[in-house]
Amino acid sequence: MSVLLDVKNLRTHFHTHRGLVKAVDGVSFHINEKEIVGLVGESGCGKSVSMLSVMQLIAIPPGKIVSGSAMFDGHDLLKYKPKGDEMRAIRGAKIAMIFQEPMTSLNPVLTIARQVTETLELHLKMDTQTARKRAVELLKLVGIPEAESRLDNYPHQFSGGMRQRVMIAIALSCNPKILIADEPTTAVDVTTQAQLLELMQEMVNRFNTSLVIVTHNLGVVARYADRIYVMYAGRIVESGLSEDIFLRPLHPYTIGLLKSVPQLGQTKSDRELVPISGLPPNLIDMPQNCAFLPRCSYHKERCRLEPWPELHAVGAQHYVSCYVDTRETS
Amino acid sequence: MQNNVTNSVEPTAWSEVAPAQSEFRRVIRVFFSRKIAVVGLVLIVLLVITAIFAPWLAPYPPNDIDMANTLAKPSGDHWLGTDNLGRDVLSRIIYGARTSLIIAVGATAMSVVLGEILGLIAAYFGGIVFQIIMRFIDALMAVPMLLVALIMASLLGGGVKNVILALGVGMLSVHARMMCAQALSVKQNDYILAARSMGMGDMRMMIQEIVPNAFPALVVVATVGLGAVILAEAGLSFLGVGVMPPYPAWGKMISDGYKYILSNPALAFSPGIAIMLVVFGFNMMGDGLRDALDPRLRGVV
Repeated sequence: MSVLLDVKNLRTHFHTHRGLVKAVDGVSFHINEKEIVGLVGESGCGKSVSMLSVMQLIAIPPGKIVSGSAMFDGHDLLKYKPKGDEMRAIRGAKIAMIFQEPMTSLNPVLTIARQVTETLELHLKMDTQTARKRAVELLKLVGIPEAESRLDNYPHQFSGGMRQRVMIAIALSCNPKILIADEPTTAVDVTTQAQLLELMQEMVNRFNTSLVIVTHNLGVVARYADRIYVMYAGRIVESGLSEDIFLRPLHPYTIGLLKSVPQLGQTKSDRELVPISGLPPNLIDMPQNCAFLPRCSYHKERCRLEPWPELHAVGAQHYVSCYVDTRETS
Repeated sequence: MQNNVTNSVEPTAWSEVAPAQSEFRRVIRVFFSRKIAVVGLVLIVLLVITAIFAPWLAPYPPNDIDMANTLAKPSGDHWLGTDNLGRDVLSRIIYGARTSLIIAVGATAMSVVLGEILGLIAAYFGGIVFQIIMRFIDALMAVPMLLVALIMASLLGGGVKNVILALGVGMLSVHARMMCAQALSVKQNDYILAARSMGMGDMRMMIQEIVPNAFPALVVVATVGLGAVILAEAGLSFLGVGVMPPYPAWGKMISDGYKYILSNPALAFSPGIAIMLVVFGFNMMGDGLRDALDPRLRGVV
């Protein structure tokens, strides 16, 4: 298992008229070959911004990648110019993305054929005929019936689930090393969600691609992810193998998240859901100490006095950033 | 018996496919369902036909002077009478359609192409590029179009080419601002980010992703712009800095004819009505196109 993408100490800040927003503040993560990684956290915690930063798709201004490195194939992606040829050769060809809204992620005025063949012609230098043949194959692969005739349809003639399938086909068309799915199932209904996740899992296996699922839905990552990163307020607070996170959660935030999700097989007395009290912090002018402190039921004096703790190892691949050993307290 | 029942209620195969209908046919259908738009279209088609077939349609050559028969009232020989030099008014209006159309199409084409490129570049790149281009456009816009055209016409002199140039520059700001606004809003869409995430370059992004999505508004504004140019050209010709005599132009005909408005009203009124009908036609056609091309109706109507 070799490391494909190694992101270190990534900081992405946004300059707004109300102050500096540290959307991503010192995030490090890596993605191994043929691995499914989950990146979990609530809205606005910096999950999407981390991924967009790696792809250098952040709008500058107001955004700015302040520091960090993203090693991929022996090169630091963050050293490339955002609009340069090197970065463009990575996007779509080596690292591809799928976005949240299937209804708006396809250009409404171009046919599906045009949008699928586009990347093939761009990165693989295929001619129109070959690209079209490949497009039909890809659409069949992602389960679009009558692919040949559907190719000349416009996006509005497809349902949301079908459009997301097309997006998957486009993203995988150049056989990328990494597929980043940014909330891929948030905008579709539950049955379609399951189908799409199964499809993505099948596809990344077939194409030997690593998959990053960015989501706020723990249920989604529980079933598919090999490893999970939990983000809170622009930082990673806990990371580990799926079993670590779900069976032995250590950070109070992870524990809170798991308690707020209903689970099958619970006894009646356990069935009560415990929401995390309070609201996520405002990312403008954050305090030095732990951002989860105001909502934390485990907090100690030390949490208030000392700065946000660094991630430290608690298992082979299990890291947590908390001063409190939650195992003792509970 | 039971077999019969199942047969009779056999469900039609369910399919996700939306009824197949090409976008082009939908636009045509919506456009033609608006009566007023069709009236506009008919007027414009008539204008184009008149302009193309002017030599065959006009009863007399437009510049034939007949000093024996000046300022004639409308009659069987001269349907709209003759002007102060004895030229047939109807023939001059027919040839004037040519002038109007050439200038309208020329000036609009020039301002649309230049304006849209400027607006697109400003909106796409943003930042300092946006500021430079759009402040220049704002400065151009602060001066009334007719004044810009007047200055240019007095610098370059009259004539069809210079009128096209003057009005083209005058209309530039309209199209640049429209395209800029459109591109800025199209740029916010998810499919733009998605296209960028697939490694598309600036050129392709602009031409393939942004322009087609801004196209409906572009067509509507250009159509209405044609009417505005015709009106402005008439204004310039009326003021005497437009098309040079004896070349027939509607604006010039009004300014020549209004001196005789009491004795021979057809002289000034007939080119006036021609201008009115054509501008009305372009506006109504633009209205109809706006309804037909409205992207919110795509896949609905």
